[in-house]
Amino acid sequence: MTSAPPTAAPDADRSPPRRRVDRGPRRSSRRTTAHPVAGMLFVLPFFLVVVAFLVVPLGFALYLSLFTKSLVLGSRFSGLDGYVKAFTDPLLLDGFLRVLLFGAVQIPVMLGIALAGALALDAVTTRFAVLYRLIAFMPYAVPAVVGALMWGFLYSRTFGPFTGLTTALGLGEVDFFGGPLLLLSLGNVVTWAWTGYNTIVLYSALQGVPREVYEAAVVDGASPVQVALRVKVPAIGRAISLAAVFTVIGTLQFFTEPQVMARFAPTISAGYTPNLYAYNQAFAYSNFNYSATISFTLGFVVFVVAYVFVFVSRRRGAGS
Amino acid sequence: MLGIGRVGRTASTLAVGLLLAVAACGGESGAGGGPVRVSVWAWYPEFKGVVDAFNASHTDVQVDWTNVGTGPDQYAKLKTAFTAGTGAPDVAMVEFQEIPTFVILDALVDMGEFGAGDDRDLYAEWAWSQATDGDKVYAIPVDGGPMALMYRRDLFERHQIPVPTTWAGYAEAAARIKAVDPTAFVASFGSDGGWINGLMWQAGCRPYGYSAATARDQVKINLTSRECRKVFEFHGDLVDRGLMAKDPFFTADATAALDSGKYWTWAAAGWTPGYVAGSLKNTAGKWAVAPMPQWTEGADDQGDWGGSTFAVTKQARNKKAATTVARELFGSSEAAWDVGLNKAFLYPLVKEVAADPAFTGKAYEFFAGQKVNEIFVPVSGKLGEFQYTPFQDFVFSELNDRSAEAMSGSRPWRTVLEETQKNVVAYARQQGFTVTE
Repeated sequence: MTSAPPTAAPDADRSPPRRRVDRGPRRSSRRTTAHPVAGMLFVLPFFLVVVAFLVVPLGFALYLSLFTKSLVLGSRFSGLDGYVKAFTDPLLLDGFLRVLLFGAVQIPVMLGIALAGALALDAVTTRFAVLYRLIAFMPYAVPAVVGALMWGFLYSRTFGPFTGLTTALGLGEVDFFGGPLLLLSLGNVVTWAWTGYNTIVLYSALQGVPREVYEAAVVDGASPVQVALRVKVPAIGRAISLAAVFTVIGTLQFFTEPQVMARFAPTISAGYTPNLYAYNQAFAYSNFNYSATISFTLGFVVFVVAYVFVFVSRRRGAGS
Repeated sequence: MLGIGRVGRTASTLAVGLLLAVAACGGESGAGGGPVRVSVWAWYPEFKGVVDAFNASHTDVQVDWTNVGTGPDQYAKLKTAFTAGTGAPDVAMVEFQEIPTFVILDALVDMGEFGAGDDRDLYAEWAWSQATDGDKVYAIPVDGGPMALMYRRDLFERHQIPVPTTWAGYAEAAARIKAVDPTAFVASFGSDGGWINGLMWQAGCRPYGYSAATARDQVKINLTSRECRKVFEFHGDLVDRGLMAKDPFFTADATAALDSGKYWTWAAAGWTPGYVAGSLKNTAGKWAVAPMPQWTEGADDQGDWGGSTFAVTKQARNKKAATTVARELFGSSEAAWDVGLNKAFLYPLVKEVAADPAFTGKAYEFFAGQKVNEIFVPVSGKLGEFQYTPFQDFVFSELNDRSAEAMSGSRPWRTVLEETQKNVVAYARQQGFTVTE
């Protein structure tokens, strides 16, 4: 609480003390302006990459999204008309509803498993811990396309191991690619791919919590389960909400698995997810302008949803 | 500052080097001696032999071949390149249903200007009419897929089920197959735009009409005619009754089903003999080919599933040389067709090659020695005219998505075409077309 350095910038003195502690000690602003050229040179490579691969493409996509192209009439400026169309496009709205429904089930399940896995890994102190971590992380190392193809074969009615299981249970052949099971099948692939990754993220956060806190809890008479739920989970609350935000963003951008699995599952339509819809508009129907509009609409929705999510989880964190 | 100067100098040296390199690349295909190099995109692996044959028989033009992906993957790259104005090859492999799409994107060269119109009599009439628009030659046909019915001769004979000659007979056979083996199906409804299109073609359904030469902004869309509806209602009924399976074609499940006696027939195409011989090992020798079942007893109506052409893109550096490549990669080249017929198993649209006894008289072990091309060749001769829209990807995607809804039970089959018609017409109008229905 008394760590404000003597060289703190003048404005830091005026800000409320709580904020100062939150942000940690500040460097002198005089020092950072001492070698402007050298500083800029250090920033330059990153700056160039950001401009070339982020700012320019985004700007170009935004520019494209303000035009409407039709096969007969060509391209014309249409301002925000494209966005009005996107926000009222039933196919796009269907896609949004589908990924939101998908996320509402898949995200809690996956993060729940990841959290349980992280707590278990944290409790294991044998030399197998490294092996467990490696195994948990492995699916993440498999490229998404390969993973989706692999699961496509596992779900197969002819070759898949699940068919043997359902037949043995007397359920007959189950169609994992159709009807209500399709979203579950996709959710399972995503959960398989990302649970390990999130486990490692949460496990790393747990490693950062000082051991003394646990010892204190144990001394106070807390059981291991109580330590896990009452001490460890709250201690990594920020990591959990960060993992959740990234997952929400990833879910809204759902693309690879449905794109790959469409060859097995005819029900995966051209507008199954917003991203798939944007892809098909551009690369199947040559409508790059509307594709850009959809992409920006998607970006906007991602921003709003992520912001609301962060806002709500902050409020909740502050309340508890 | 010294640092920046050095970096700047290195950068400009690099830039000059790059410019020289670019200039060198450009010079290769120019008139500066040496052969003109023409880049080609095509996707079957055996194409290497065709390129070698071309390069061996030409001294002034040489082909550089790239395989950038199959079908839709390649089209995605082409459409991006045409939108960007750069990056397309000189010559590209394009399927028939995509030609109007690329024409309206103003992506294809009229090869008629370089004398390609002379090739007219070389090719099957239906193929030439799909590749051209009036006098404009947008593509040179290569291979097609005249349709015929593949069936398990052994199973049909063992259970004394007559091989259907009409679709009514096909439905009867389907019911009898189910009675004999409850786990078997007459075939699968494969969720393949080209396949269902071939069946529509055979039924006399002509849902699309488009000619950029006549009226660039006018398109005919009539998917709800009686001829079109009967195809969907017939197959939908078989699916609903559990007589027809729902596996998409070319998946491991569908291939295994064909090879295990789960499917007894497949309305297949002229290129199928090569495909099945390579992928169905257990049932080799047990299959036979019969002409397509007819809607009217005794009729001889036929359809086509698939086929490709070579087109010259507007970005071609040397359009004349590119036209030569498109015309002569296959054309009458014996060496190319040797690869095309015996390795890539194409169905040739060059009439002379298709009529050659070496092709029609070829006995297929997979079909127990049957000379199946004796069935496919006459089909190609009877195909007649069939046109596509300049937004066929959208149409096929709609047809597949609506059919998938019907298969999953969330839409009655009889509304598949109505809904597709409605959506396609709306899309066409929104794209600026005047639509006649």
